[in-house]
Order: sequence, then structure tokens, then C-alpha cells
Amino acid sequence: MSVFRPVRCLFSGSSIRCSRPRVRCRNFHTSLNLYEQRRPQFPGAKASKMDLIDQESSEMEIPDPEDKNFKEYTSEELEALEKRYTPGQIKAILAGEAAIDVEDLERRGVIRTDIGGLPYFDDLSKLRPVVDRDQLYEGPIDPNARRMTDKEFSDAWQKEYDQAVREAEMPPPKTEEEAEDRKERLTGSDRIAWMKADDRVPHYMGTNGPIPRAHTPSMLAPGLPRTFLNDEQPKAQVKKEDDEDDADPRDPEGVYNRLIKQTGLTLDQILEYKVKILVQHRVVNQTRLGKIASVYCLAVAGNGNGRLGIGEAKGQETEETSSNAKIAAIRSMQPIPRYEERTIFGEVEGKVSAAEVKLMCRPPGFGLRCQHLIFEMARAAGIHDLAAKVPRSRNKMNTVKATYQALLKQRIPDEIARGRGKKLVDVRKVYYAGRV
Amino acid sequence: MSLVHLSHVCSHLSNTSKARLGLTSVPSTNMILTISLALQQAGFLSSVTRGGLTPPPLDDLSSYIPEPVTQENISTRRLWLGMKYWDNEPVLNKMSMVSKPTKRVWMDVEGLGKLIRGRDAGFVAGLRKPGECLFVSTDRGIMESRECVERKVGGMLLCRAV
Repeated sequence: MSVFRPVRCLFSGSSIRCSRPRVRCRNFHTSLNLYEQRRPQFPGAKASKMDLIDQESSEMEIPDPEDKNFKEYTSEELEALEKRYTPGQIKAILAGEAAIDVEDLERRGVIRTDIGGLPYFDDLSKLRPVVDRDQLYEGPIDPNARRMTDKEFSDAWQKEYDQAVREAEMPPPKTEEEAEDRKERLTGSDRIAWMKADDRVPHYMGTNGPIPRAHTPSMLAPGLPRTFLNDEQPKAQVKKEDDEDDADPRDPEGVYNRLIKQTGLTLDQILEYKVKILVQHRVVNQTRLGKIASVYCLAVAGNGNGRLGIGEAKGQETEETSSNAKIAAIRSMQPIPRYEERTIFGEVEGKVSAAEVKLMCRPPGFGLRCQHLIFEMARAAGIHDLAAKVPRSRNKMNTVKATYQALLKQRIPDEIARGRGKKLVDVRKVYYAGRV
Repeated sequence: MSLVHLSHVCSHLSNTSKARLGLTSVPSTNMILTISLALQQAGFLSSVTRGGLTPPPLDDLSSYIPEPVTQENISTRRLWLGMKYWDNEPVLNKMSMVSKPTKRVWMDVEGLGKLIRGRDAGFVAGLRKPGECLFVSTDRGIMESRECVERKVGGMLLCRAV
């Protein structure tokens, strides 16, 4: 503004006409308008300016260069591949590997932890027993192969058995009595030799003598490999445990001894379970001698990671009954399907007598908004987001039973998809690239 | 277009699953035929075959040609539906009507969109159970609700199947 026209500018009106009268907007609320709000005197303190964030780590992590993690095949490796695969297959392998974007693999590739995922990492270079089938013999098949006669078979079996005995380094029987005794009652290592011989003995006779077992072309799936347990070891272990349990200060009365023996759980595991008595009341049996009162207990047990059980017990003593109920609950623990290990699959209903329970899945962070009995059960099972309705009878015992029934009754989408022969996709997982 | 027969079919199929039957028959009408085909397409039924009072031969169900419908035999025609079971559980557990013979329910695409996202629309509860299907009668035939939303057509809600 010029020094020469300080006053004039104040008195003269604006040269541009307002086409529209200015109306002051009034809010219906008491807070200030946006432009009237106080601006902070100082700019906000940002974490990046205060050196709280490591600059390098906050930046987008650049995946390792392609050639470092995904090396190209050398000519030797290609030659090795050619021995195993046809040219068409090699072409397919190369095309498949070229199709995988490294950046995509870095960002979106996740290890599946849901129900459909494989329980092991796939290493195709190794053959695992049980999971993988044995490789079928692909060599030439002897045209003169025939089944062994009894004489040939018994000879071959004896040969294999002797071989197995030699491997086990078992001394040959010294006396005839010992030999007969062995025949009647096989000792541990003797039995192993017997089984090994059974597994190895050839059944077919070819042109050049017996065909080895591995080269026998079989129509059947290969038998499961057997693991041979030493008979003496478990007994010794059980004895040791007995001694330990007697001395264990955490369970001085030995309440869990029987459970430990029967289930093979350790005391640590049992004490880690979340066990709680949910229902406890007096019940009365009317006999001709009078009323006989006893205590009824219902307990739930869970490992907080997808397993839940309920157990009931009735007896004269309160403490004994409640511990019996707890043990029964631990014994009846069963896996419960959980979606993303936090909530249930969709909506499920359970009904026991007049008590109906409706459980509903909820988004992450919702919490357990349900009545106390269902809350305890969900907590024991490791469910974190759940809503529930108990519209009819709210009998405690039946509510707990109905909830348990509902939790076990869930239908898993994968199973539904297989039943219908359709493909169901978890859109949530696709949208968040599996990071849920 | 009475819905009475369809309601009977719904209850009949639920009961059939409970009784673990492999093959069952329902009256042969155009509406029931189209809804059975929709059920088959959704994977609830293994086969839909035209037949008479006796079941069609099971060994060549796919190549079986039903006898032509005539004035004489039209009253005895039935549809034979093959039920599915997986893992000791019926694939079609429960089937229930949404529209009733005395109260039809129509829904536009917006409402159907809400339903398939698991929200309630009008007086109709959303599809919240895993794998739940809703069959809608539209001017382009009977379709599953998700297909309706995809094609942007509304219609009369017939029945839901879990």
C-alpha cells in the first residue's frame, strides 16, 4: 500500500461490485468455524524430524536383486535336468519360473497358516516317508517273471532273515532250548529282524534269479514304513514319571496322576490349560431313605489355541467333584475350527433342550461381546472376536453345552467347496494379500 | 405359479437329507425343474432326471433318455433328484422358503447386494452362514442371488439353501 493513499483506501468502497450480498454463515453447533479455529503457533513435532524413525528402515524395502536369490540355471544344472525331464517339461519349468515376479513374491508371497495350507515346507528334492509315495520302479520288466514256489520263497525268506539277524548283530541261539524259546516268544530285536525279512523278501522269480523287492512292479500303493519301538524304554520312563509325580510340589495330592498316565500329557502342559468351573450347584436324589444331596460341577478346559473341552462330574465332596470335572474337561478337549485364529466361521446355532445359542463371527478387534459363560468358553478356546445371543432359556448348564455344540458344528468353507465341487475364495485374504 | 409345491419340495429335500437318501423324486413342474437345475448348478444336487413313478436306471443315468411326455403319462411324471453327501454330512442341509404362498418378497439389486454381503434387507435376513445360497426368480430365469447381482437383475426371492 502506498504512503500517499492511506486514508482514501479506507473510505472508498471496493471498485468491484459484489454480485451477491455477503451473508455470515452460522453453524447450528457451538464449535468454531474451520477458518476461525486457532492455528498452532509452532509447527507440529514430527517423529521423522525428531530422529525417532530410522530413515533407512522407514523407506520401502527394496527386494534383493533378482540374480542374487533367483540365479539362472548353469549349463551343468540344465544337463542334470535334461536327464530327468523331457524338453517340454524343462520348457514348462523355465516358463513357470520366469512368470514369477520377484517383487510380487516379496510383497504378496506369504506362508499359509490357515486350514488349507500344507503342514510342511515343500522341498521337492527330498522324499519323505508317509507324506510322499515311494518312487515306482521304472526299469525294464522281466517277461519271464513268475511267482515263487513255496520252496523258493522259504529259502529266500531264510536268506533275508539271516541277513537281518547279522545286521542286528544278534548272537545265534546256543542251545536248542533257547532256539525253541525264541520261536515261541520273539524278543524285540528278533522281531525286528523278522519284520525286516518280511519287508525285503522277494516274491517273484525272474530269468536271473529272484527279482529284488524294490524292482517288483506293483499295482498296490506301497505299505507304510514301520517304526520299531524298543519294548524296554517306555516302561522305564513310566516308572521315572511315577517317582517324579510323587515328589512334585505343584500337585502334592496326585490329582492329575491318573490323567498323566492315561493321556501322556506332562504336568506342565496340564497346568498350562485354562480350566474353569462354570456351573456348580447342589442336586438332590429323593430315595425311600430320604434325600441324598450331592454336588454337580461343569468345567471347561482349553489350551487357548483352538482346543476346548467340557466335563461334568457329580459327587459328595465339592473339591473332589470339581477336580473330577476339570479332569473330564481336559480329557474331552477337541479342536475347534477358528477363522484366522480369532473368530468363528460365519454364524452357527446350537440347541440343547430349551437353551438355544447363536454365535456370530465378528471383525478383528471387536472383542468378546457375549455373556459370561460363552465369554469364558471363547477365551479358553482362543477365540478373540465373537458375538452371541441366547434368545430362549438361559439355563447355565444347557447354555454351555449348546455353545460347545455350536462351536463344534461349524462348517469350514473348504469342506463346503469340496462337497459342492465349487471353488470358494476368501476375498478378505485376496484383498489384503494374505496379510490378515 | 403357486409356491405351495415349491414349499413342499423345500421341506422334502431337507427331510431327504436328514434321512440320508441317495435319490428322491419331486413333482415335475417347470418351476421345480428350473430350481432343481439351479440347485444342481450350485453344487447341491448330483443329478436331475425326468422319470415316471419308478426311479430311472442308476447305472446309466447320464445317457438315459426319458420316455416322451404324452397325454396319458403326464400325470405320473416326476423329477428324480440325486442327493449329495460329503464327509458323512449332507451337502444340502436345510432348504427353506423366503417368499410364502401368501406373501411374496421381491428384491432389487441393491437389496440383493446387501443380502449377499450378510446384511439384512427389508425383512429378509442376510446370507451369513458359510456357503448359504439364495435363489431368485427373475425374468431371465431362476438364478442364485450372487449371479443376480453380477447381472444386475432383481426378482422374487424363492428359497434359501445351506
